[in-house]
Amino acid sequence: MRFAVCVKHAVDESELKIDPSGKPRLEGAQAKMGTFDKNAVEEVLRLRTALGGEVVAITVGKAEARKSLKEALAMGADKGVHILADPGALDPSRTSELLAAAITKTGPFDLVICSEGSSDIYSGLVPPMVAERLGIPYIGYARKLEVAARTVKAERSLEESLESVESSLPSVVSVVSEINEPRYPTLIQIMQASKKPVEELTRQQLGVGDVQASVRIVSMTAQAMNRKRIVFEGSPDEAASKLVDAFASEGVIPK
Amino acid sequence: MSEVWAFSESVTIANEVVSAAKEIAVACSGQAVVVEVGRARSSVSSPGKKLVIKGPGLTDESPEMTAGALYLAAREAKPAVVLVGATRNGKEVASRLAVKLGSGCLPDLSKVSAEGEALVGERGEYAGKVMTKLSSPFPCVAAIKTGAYPTFSGTGGEILEKDVGAVARSSQIVAVTKKEVSTVDLRAAKVIVSAGRGVKKKEDLEMVGALAKALGGALGCSRPLASDLGWLPEECHIGLTGVNVKPELYLAVGISGQLQHVAGIKDSKVIAAINSDKDAPIFQAADYGVVGDLYQLVPAIQRVLSSRHH
Repeated sequence: MRFAVCVKHAVDESELKIDPSGKPRLEGAQAKMGTFDKNAVEEVLRLRTALGGEVVAITVGKAEARKSLKEALAMGADKGVHILADPGALDPSRTSELLAAAITKTGPFDLVICSEGSSDIYSGLVPPMVAERLGIPYIGYARKLEVAARTVKAERSLEESLESVESSLPSVVSVVSEINEPRYPTLIQIMQASKKPVEELTRQQLGVGDVQASVRIVSMTAQAMNRKRIVFEGSPDEAASKLVDAFASEGVIPK
Repeated sequence: MSEVWAFSESVTIANEVVSAAKEIAVACSGQAVVVEVGRARSSVSSPGKKLVIKGPGLTDESPEMTAGALYLAAREAKPAVVLVGATRNGKEVASRLAVKLGSGCLPDLSKVSAEGEALVGERGEYAGKVMTKLSSPFPCVAAIKTGAYPTFSGTGGEILEKDVGAVARSSQIVAVTKKEVSTVDLRAAKVIVSAGRGVKKKEDLEMVGALAKALGGALGCSRPLASDLGWLPEECHIGLTGVNVKPELYLAVGISGQLQHVAGIKDSKVIAAINSDKDAPIFQAADYGVVGDLYQLVPAIQRVLSSRHH
């Protein structure tokens, strides 16, 4: 079987710095493969172990996005596909267009796996958009996955229910982060990752025009954590008493 | 007059999306229209016109069919905006519909309005560190964050039915199991006491749960307790990829306060934290904190509460 896994070179949100003016400093911000994308890579590697075949990791981004592809390759993906584009000029719709074109060009694939969302933007729109563009079934938010020769069965985790669904292959699936515990690559695997093949694809090669994104970022403002940050001291009983007093005077518990 | 459509497969959330649609309708001098797919539910309130899309075997249980049906109806009626409740299924509906319409899609908006011929909306990004304002020209699709808008109630006017014919569906639902714990309960809770890694054994959750009960609230947890340890169901996991909550009081017990966790609680009115590490990031996100052993503090709070009730 051939598996594709989509990964994002995502800004490391914990390292994101804020300017004194309150603007996030996204230029040159530290980035890595999205936290939840690791679960998608892990799941696809488990499927390859069970079913055999090849895993191709696909990303969209500038030159530095190669770093995230290497992370997926170090975990165990066989090949990389790097779609060269400026993510700053893309919205989920344009991103999904590039991914769908690359999946078609480097396919056929039996299964395309994505995470539930990128750890930086976390829109979760790209996976269903890719399926819609490819015209193949989509199973979102899977927490269990069973792949057979022609079908995929999954347990979807929804707000109030678990839904068992089935579709034919090829399909696109997004997985939730509780589906597995991603492996850590060994030092040797990290070194070997640089030797694995990565295909670079441009818009021209994919035949995707540079259409302006419909969604525009108007502004970005750091969210101030305006909390009181009062720390109560004393013995456990004294501190507990002060805490309950504070809750009562805030009116958040019955007096 | 341009129409602003509101849809959700969940009744509760549909009534919230209607409130958002009304605000946009005011801003663009349009009309909010409640849209239902496959069935009309009297429990979904409507400020005016309600459009019920019908078709053979059409059901809003399938996001794929829902998107197909909304597309066929929207192609004719040409609404300026289609709003969908940002449930997991709702986001699939929004994504598919936007691709079909060739329009922009704004996800998880906590605030939405119209400026000229465009929809503008705000959403939290980078694990809640940044509020991003997005804009997309009409026609466009947007998903409204759950709990962001008040519930609309009122009785509307005419109900229109529209038959769109057959709509394709490529995946089948084999079985549906109701979750033991519903995320809706946590979202609605006025008080939440949440347990984190500081709790050493599964049995000790009883103590934290008892405190939640004494405060008239619900028990939640951070990601490791649900995903890694499996001590509580995934529906209790509060955070970016779990449930987003906004209770009157959120008490974090033994939770370090990673960004992803804080992203799910930052709209709470009051945040309090108990942690043995004085440098735990949760204290930066809290109004009230106590540095200490939760095994002493939780029973101590219980004692204070029961002494005041007598």
